Amino acid sequence: MDGPLKEDDALLREVLDAPGGDALAIPLLADDELDREARRSLRKEERDIAMKFHGGRMWVYAALTVGCFLVWVSLFPLAIMGLLGPVGLALGCVFATFCAAYGFIPSHEAMHSNIYPRGHKHYWANELTGHLSTVPIALGFGVARLTHMEHHKYTNHAELDPDYTDGAPNWWQAILKTWWNRQPGVEGSVMRYKRMMVDMDTPASRRAAMQTTLLQLVMLGTFFGMAWSGYAIEVALLWWLPRQLGLSWIRYWLSWAPHHPQEQGRYQNTRIFKARLGYWASMAMEYHLIHHLYPGIPNHRQREAFHALKDVLRRQGVDVSAH
Amino acid sequence: MTEAIRKLFAVMPFLFGIGFIAPLTAQLMKLWGIPGPFGLSPIAFGLAFGGAWGLYANIKGRWL
Repeated sequence: MDGPLKEDDALLREVLDAPGGDALAIPLLADDELDREARRSLRKEERDIAMKFHGGRMWVYAALTVGCFLVWVSLFPLAIMGLLGPVGLALGCVFATFCAAYGFIPSHEAMHSNIYPRGHKHYWANELTGHLSTVPIALGFGVARLTHMEHHKYTNHAELDPDYTDGAPNWWQAILKTWWNRQPGVEGSVMRYKRMMVDMDTPASRRAAMQTTLLQLVMLGTFFGMAWSGYAIEVALLWWLPRQLGLSWIRYWLSWAPHHPQEQGRYQNTRIFKARLGYWASMAMEYHLIHHLYPGIPNHRQREAFHALKDVLRRQGVDVSAH
Repeated sequence: MTEAIRKLFAVMPFLFGIGFIAPLTAQLMKLWGIPGPFGLSPIAFGLAFGGAWGLYANIKGRWL
């Protein structure tokens, strides 16, 4: 806890003294009704502040996605024509890795229809952004969206949270886990997502699973086709390696770091933390709690929203000491 | 169709071994000037290596 406490506000003191966000602000034995009122008031204050941070220049996410996707795709014919050279290929590998990892940010916004909401005349751009940005990691947008909604609904639930398998006791084991979960006999990561689509067994989940399967077949066909045509190194550096690195980066920063140690509860299932690699390298996930509380606040405004909400969150029992 | 795809993915590590690892191994050997053992050509060695590794991954359920 940090920040000054108003001495004349006994109610606030009780909230601050509570051990956790879902703990009662005032013990039930004292006055259950008063506690409920305090919590409702805090929640309203929190919501009023949060609503100011929804929206923004969301078209930038769509424009960057389309631009990066076109550049990434153009690297393949350039490599086949021998126009990249060793340095160009190395730079292409770095760029492709960036697309694979950071492409998840616009896709994440699209999953929540934050770029353009359903019913908007440009909603197609929201969907296009989602579909294009997950191509480098060969994860269909439908699967990504459906499983992400389950993640929000059942965050840190061992059976129902699709991302639960990313849990690990410390950072280096978390990195190893991102690789381990992609092994053919281990049901983690994309394999777990596909199994969940089968379990859901709805028209949307079946369509989404088929879309991911087709995307993976296209990716493998590209790998095999280019490799047997004499461009194995090129396809390895422009797609295979970037996908491996990108998936690990995503799983570590989006799944493990903000949810460790996988507690449950509105104010406990995601944490505010300080990333050693900084704000940009962590994909702004230091403030992921803001996203779980208000998924409509876009990635680039979460830091700003956190600082505006900091005092309210502290009173809700959130450890905000990292920033 | 769905069953055929399921069967295809069931043997995907092995297919990945001969479809991707084999030619990648051969291309790297040529690039670094490494000859194949026992007089094998780079692609023959790549197929043996990639096929064996893919088969191992298929059976064990992990690449390492």
